[in-house]
Amino acid sequence: MAVSKKAAPESFKTRCQRTWREMVKYRWLYFLLIPGILFFAIFKYVPMYGLKIAFMDYNQYDPSKSLWVGLDQFVKLFSKRSFIPVLRNTVVISLLKLIIGFPIPVILALMMNEMRSLKFKKVSQTLLYLPHFISWVILAGIIMTLLDPDNGLITQVIARLTGERVMVLTSPKWFVPMLIVTDIYKGMGWGTILYFAAISGIDPQLYEAASIDGAGKWKQALNITLPSIIPTIVVCFILNCGNILNAGFDQIFMLYSTHVYDVADIIDTYVYRMGIENADYSFSTAAGMFKSVVAFILIVVVNNIAKKTGNEGLY
Amino acid sequence: MQKHMAIKRSRGEVAFSVFNYIFFILLCIIMVYPFWHVIMMSLSSVEATAKGGVFLWPKGFNLDTYAKVFKDPSIWNGYLTTIVVTISGAFFGTLFTATTAYPLSKKDLPFSKTMLLLVLFTMLFSGGMIPGYLLMKNLGLIDNRLSLVLPGLVSAYNVIIMKSFFQSIPESLEESAKIDGATEVTIFWKIILPLSKATIATIALFTAVGYWNDYFSTVLYINTKEKWALQAVLRYMLTNTNQAMQSAGVTVAAATNVTAATIKSASVVIATVPILCVYPFVQKYFVKGVMIGGVKG
Repeated sequence: MAVSKKAAPESFKTRCQRTWREMVKYRWLYFLLIPGILFFAIFKYVPMYGLKIAFMDYNQYDPSKSLWVGLDQFVKLFSKRSFIPVLRNTVVISLLKLIIGFPIPVILALMMNEMRSLKFKKVSQTLLYLPHFISWVILAGIIMTLLDPDNGLITQVIARLTGERVMVLTSPKWFVPMLIVTDIYKGMGWGTILYFAAISGIDPQLYEAASIDGAGKWKQALNITLPSIIPTIVVCFILNCGNILNAGFDQIFMLYSTHVYDVADIIDTYVYRMGIENADYSFSTAAGMFKSVVAFILIVVVNNIAKKTGNEGLY
Repeated sequence: MQKHMAIKRSRGEVAFSVFNYIFFILLCIIMVYPFWHVIMMSLSSVEATAKGGVFLWPKGFNLDTYAKVFKDPSIWNGYLTTIVVTISGAFFGTLFTATTAYPLSKKDLPFSKTMLLLVLFTMLFSGGMIPGYLLMKNLGLIDNRLSLVLPGLVSAYNVIIMKSFFQSIPESLEESAKIDGATEVTIFWKIILPLSKATIATIALFTAVGYWNDYFSTVLYINTKEKWALQAVLRYMLTNTNQAMQSAGVTVAAATNVTAATIKSASVVIATVPILCVYPFVQKYFVKGVMIGGVKG
């Protein structure tokens, strides 16, 4: 890397010497890197190495006595009756969140762009963005208050409208729609600001030219604004696809109960219960590893597709 | 012709504009109302909350619930833990993000590209929950508050953002210092960091929010209740309201002016108010954060 390209081919030895000289020259930069290297090695790469217990029968009392069992944990995972529904729930919940939730910030950003009043724009941005910084614990508290089966405001409104007391948080029918709505509530402001930032980067001359050509606001939005933010949309889409197996652990973990396990138990909550509560470390690590590997493959594939179709990818 | 079109366009525009403003006003109300509602619930009397109908203002205004909740020491312990964890986590996290990003921003540093790839890879793949838990166990950090700080210190994403920012600083600013014989550490400390104040503030704020909102590290690593973070205390109050009421000195049978509903809303409010107070002032950094990191690292 340090070798300049113009130089004649060097021998391996001189190249090593050259690199070494560079490294000595930059010794203080390596000094700065020490905490970062330690952090990533210990807290990121050691757990990756720890994935090996997915191929073992981990003995928590004496880890050195753990036996290698090959792919047994994965075979067990897929032959278990409980895991397939968990996988299905994960995909269903995150796909619904993606399909319903993904376009909303784009539309909101386009609409916000048409507002003239700067002050109004700022205030609505601030308020839309707020729930993004509120933890799922707090939001769950609010949701529980609003949906309380006895005296929750929304429960009462629904009862008044339909004459029926719906217990959303324990109803297998309503739990997933509730997850989607509250997820959109929390996340749409962030997306809106992201797209709005991309819109403000558009060259104003494009709009001037279009309005001279007689294009109305609607046409401008469709033919200038939207195409200009396509790269941002693609990057967001890639990120979302890589997250397809993250159906929203914190949200579900805070809100679910045994009543809705059938529809709301996802890989992460399953891993938590199997691993932390039941201390079945190897089995739950196998479930978690399955998730990480699939997510990794997904993000690489989608990124390649994006690049092949002429868009900028993530990396 | 030109005039005619302008009028026609503006008529449609006006209609849309009116709709647009009304739509966003409604949206803003929907964003804020849940918070408002929970505050009003916490200030209302037991009878009013049980009957329902607390909508815009508290019914039967009283502060009894807050008096009870504040008597529970776990809220104060939670606050203390969370404040210490948030400040130390944001400080060291941001510092180490910068010390990692600066060398990686130097393209002619041997192996910088390899190291950058290794950092990037942690964004795409991770060991997951259980190996992380076993790591903390092997490090002997279970039930130690360090386990609330250490695992979240540096994120690959922030390193990439910071690295791109450092790369945008003109080399020439460093050259003269180099001629004067300053080491890279001095340059980093005296020239680079002061130039990066806004980016650093943004990353520090995002890291701080992460720590403030973290409950799951407590769930995973901390057993002793005195060491819990605020969000974990709140989670306990929400999911085990009866026990929480007892520890606040309310017996379920006793006829006091406090119920599960008011206890829940009061604890939500207590945990939310600090964020609501700080948010308007730091909001611009958050917006900036989206812009610097949002599109591409």
